[in-house]
Amino acid sequence: MTNKVEQSFRYLLLTAALLFALAPVYWMLTISLKTEVEQFAIPPPWFVFTPTLNHYYDAFVTRGFGNYLLTSAIVAITSTACALVIGTLAAYVLARFQLPWSLNRRLSLWILSTRMFPAIVTAVPLFLMMRDVQLLNTRVSLIIVYTGFNLPFVVWMMRGFFADLPRDLEEAALVDGDSRLGALVRVVLPLVSPGLAATAVFCLIVSWNEFLFALVLTQTDAAMTLPVGIAGRVTQYEIKWGVMSAAASVAIVPILVFALALQKYLVRGLSMGAVKG
Amino acid sequence: MGIEFKNVSKTFGGATVVDDLSLRIDDGEFIVLLGPSGCGKTTTLRMLAGLESVTGGDIFINGGRVNDVPTQHRDLAMVFQSYALYPHMTIAENIGYPLRVRKLEKGERAERVKRVAAMLEIETLLERKPRQLSGGERQRVALARAIVREPRAYLMDEPLSNLDARLRVQMRGELKRLQHQLGTTTIYVTHDQAEAMTLATRVAVMKKGRLQQFDAPMNIYNYPANRFVAEFVGSPSMNFIEGRIENGTFVSDALQIPMGGLARGSQLTIGIRPEHIQVLSAPQDNAIAANVYVTELMGNETFVFLSVGTNRLIARAPADFRADLESTVWITITRDKILFFDPVSGERLGHG
Repeated sequence: MTNKVEQSFRYLLLTAALLFALAPVYWMLTISLKTEVEQFAIPPPWFVFTPTLNHYYDAFVTRGFGNYLLTSAIVAITSTACALVIGTLAAYVLARFQLPWSLNRRLSLWILSTRMFPAIVTAVPLFLMMRDVQLLNTRVSLIIVYTGFNLPFVVWMMRGFFADLPRDLEEAALVDGDSRLGALVRVVLPLVSPGLAATAVFCLIVSWNEFLFALVLTQTDAAMTLPVGIAGRVTQYEIKWGVMSAAASVAIVPILVFALALQKYLVRGLSMGAVKG
Repeated sequence: MGIEFKNVSKTFGGATVVDDLSLRIDDGEFIVLLGPSGCGKTTTLRMLAGLESVTGGDIFINGGRVNDVPTQHRDLAMVFQSYALYPHMTIAENIGYPLRVRKLEKGERAERVKRVAAMLEIETLLERKPRQLSGGERQRVALARAIVREPRAYLMDEPLSNLDARLRVQMRGELKRLQHQLGTTTIYVTHDQAEAMTLATRVAVMKKGRLQQFDAPMNIYNYPANRFVAEFVGSPSMNFIEGRIENGTFVSDALQIPMGGLARGSQLTIGIRPEHIQVLSAPQDNAIAANVYVTELMGNETFVFLSVGTNRLIARAPADFRADLESTVWITITRDKILFFDPVSGERLGHG
């Protein structure tokens, strides 16, 4: 009997937590589908209203949100790929090669230290540097900045995954006649692929959602990302709730799809090392 | 031709793991590096493979110095203690890996994988993954991966130590046949003296990074260079008795053995293999009285643990030998099989 009560209580709690977390998402989705009249109705029509796709049309056909979406995708994917390639190689060196002067530990800490101060601290110098090399309002500037931003995370995650892998396997590959890089690509990386996938998802989410640097470094439509584009609908004359909600709803989709596709790896990657296979 | 270590040393931090090792290995030999854990035998093997750098001295393969040759260009094959099979590849892919990195054409690769698999009787496993295999099967796959190409030498790092006792003896025999069949130089690391005795053409016994003796198994057994080798090789272990020479007789507590003219120095340690002590139920001329501490029936023979005064001895007796604990028996020692050791340095004294 107590078991049943306990179980219902558990589900009740989970439901409450879920409602709490999803309420804003629900609100955003409904706003994006309501006419402007219904958006401001009091009491608000919670579930029953006449859905309309006007705001979606407005955002992606009339206004330039399609272009923002494309910029976001290019910037997020390219910077994630760059950070993964550079970071994985760096992490492999830190995990496997004994560097002199205890550089393994020192370099790792210095790499981590770049994440220890608030992002705004680097915003101004980055703006000045990008202005000097004339990369303001370009996608390239965002790719460079996001790659740098994600690198420490990739290095630290991958270093841990590499360290957990028995050295025997790489040594066997070397004795079998493979090069270091060959052993890394053919033996090591396939074995840490869950970790690699988990790391990639996080980098992608960070790059996709990033707002501060995108706002500072891009002011024109040429290289505007979705978050900046959405925020730009708040002007001193009007706030386009419908358009913003429609764009935001669309912005959720790629990350959601990607995370679901890699869910299996995500769980394994995050718990890697905890349980020896 | 063959492999040569010339004054090779290895230090980790301040610790010397291999100390001034010199070995000449002829082409086609089966060499066993034998010693307790931490004696530097695995490090020696890893230096030869190029997985550890050499701190001092040189290593030659077929006359060429390989100190600075990276592992992948040394053309050796290695079997790891953990087998180190690639978990994400099938058995066929595992065995074919050395051929794949050498860009061998696909058909030829499959052909050779098949041939080796047939040789080791693992054809039926080719499509499986390593985790679906038993320990013995993994062992065979690791061997197959090593012999699928023709390397200059096989290196084996305690390849049988993860198998159960019965399988280990079986694989030991198969390894020996395989090496005989292939005729490739093999260097095999183990702490198991039985493996060393059965497999090797020559055994290199190591202790604390130093080579103690490098000789054929029977010479190691019959003429150990020092007390350490004598004790390490043979099971049960050799008996040692500390004593002194008095008037041509070896004296130690309750034990006296006449030694016509063999006396050298006053203090002496003698070594006797258990099979050179005969245990008698009744007294006899020159027999020494001993107390039975315990007997262990092994099925085909009996180990008799004896105390003679403060000395403890082990003797081999026939399987039907019976004696009560704490009863008195008599022993005789095969005089010309006694070995003499310096009680301080442990070096073996005398001829041979």
